[in-house]
Amino acid sequence: MTKLFDAKWKLFLSGAIFGLLAMLLAIMGNPGNMAICITCFVRDMAGAMKLHSAEAVQYFRPEIVGFILGSFLISIATKEYKATAGSSPLIRFLLGMMMMIGALVFLGCPLRMLIRMSAGDLNAYVGLIGFAGGVLTGTFFLKKGFSLGRNYETSRANGYILPILLVFLLILSVTTTLFAVSESGPGSFHAPVAVALTAAIIIGAIAQKNRTCFAGSIRDLALLKDASLISVLGGLFVVMLVYNIATGNFHLSFTGQPIAHAQHLWNILGLYVVGFSAVLAGGCPFRQLILTGQGSCDSAVTFLGMLIGAAIAHNFGLASAAAKAATETDPAVAGGPSIYGKVAVILCIIVLFIIACTQKRRTAK
Amino acid sequence: MRAKETCYVIAFHTTADAIAFEKMAGEAGFPGRLIPLPRAISAGCGMSWKLTKKEAPEQMQELLDSFEIEYEEVYELQL
Repeated sequence: MTKLFDAKWKLFLSGAIFGLLAMLLAIMGNPGNMAICITCFVRDMAGAMKLHSAEAVQYFRPEIVGFILGSFLISIATKEYKATAGSSPLIRFLLGMMMMIGALVFLGCPLRMLIRMSAGDLNAYVGLIGFAGGVLTGTFFLKKGFSLGRNYETSRANGYILPILLVFLLILSVTTTLFAVSESGPGSFHAPVAVALTAAIIIGAIAQKNRTCFAGSIRDLALLKDASLISVLGGLFVVMLVYNIATGNFHLSFTGQPIAHAQHLWNILGLYVVGFSAVLAGGCPFRQLILTGQGSCDSAVTFLGMLIGAAIAHNFGLASAAAKAATETDPAVAGGPSIYGKVAVILCIIVLFIIACTQKRRTAK
Repeated sequence: MRAKETCYVIAFHTTADAIAFEKMAGEAGFPGRLIPLPRAISAGCGMSWKLTKKEAPEQMQELLDSFEIEYEEVYELQL
């Protein structure tokens, strides 16, 4: 099983499978340029559970459950499941929160950034500058000895809790009216539950094997001159690009892009926060879900930080507004972050530098 | 395609340990280089130190123990 992805072309192919499944989710109803977006979907889940009350973004996304469940099931089946914990949990919680705040200022995680890029959204290319800058800043601190400390093996049950809890919540969301569901806006667009869950389980299982990570891809390229991980992203990008061109969804522009804004500085700084915090936390938002599935309680805590980060971002008006063209009744909206969102991003950057400068590797012997 | 050869891969508990090892290895003239942790070893995504069996010094174990870095394990792989 470990030889499944031992060459770059195999990794590229696995990324292409992600692309096909993302395409399926887009066709089946997920929002514009948001076939898969970890932070958007976690934000929708937070809204569904009424942790925030932004009516347009409330839906219990089966994809998030599926990613974790896919990784959980395959790691148990292939005996790679290992419950670990104890590597600076609350710093990771904070990193998860900041990852989410930065992503909601940009309006997407690195995965959605790539999907937006494949649809010609130039704002995502601008955001990429910030994301890469954040990853390189984090990598600089890794070279300077930054560390959150090692993890330790813990009782297997610790790693079961989040996957099982999420499945339970998903069942509740399908069988009861306990959760909020958007009637309009991004939360109201979604693929059928069975399709979303199945596609996500497959993606989660493959990602557990090919170790997909957006931050890790750039980190490995910068530190080790290794392009293995970025090959996965290449496959995903190519398939989505072909899909977008074939369906007439490719528009090379800054404006008129679904759920996006053209405030360049804040697109850069938002994703800078995501890239920086992802390197310090040892993985992008997507990777955190996969690590959670294979037993990492530290990543599970990061996920919980993301969930609370989403609630904070919407309860306190930190998340950006999407740009809108004028209609007969409403004027055009430029979109972008509020003053609170801008201050939050600056604060996140300061806190990230404090964490990066103060958490040092300790000699073990 | 490059022929595979027998290599030692030293795995660490953290990325920081692997990076610190690179510095110490450079100073001590210990052969090898940092690589992504091979998938055959772990589902994790850290870094490891690779050296071929040919270039491995005779007193490898003693040298490793002299570095102030706790490594997880030394694996022997075809890479």
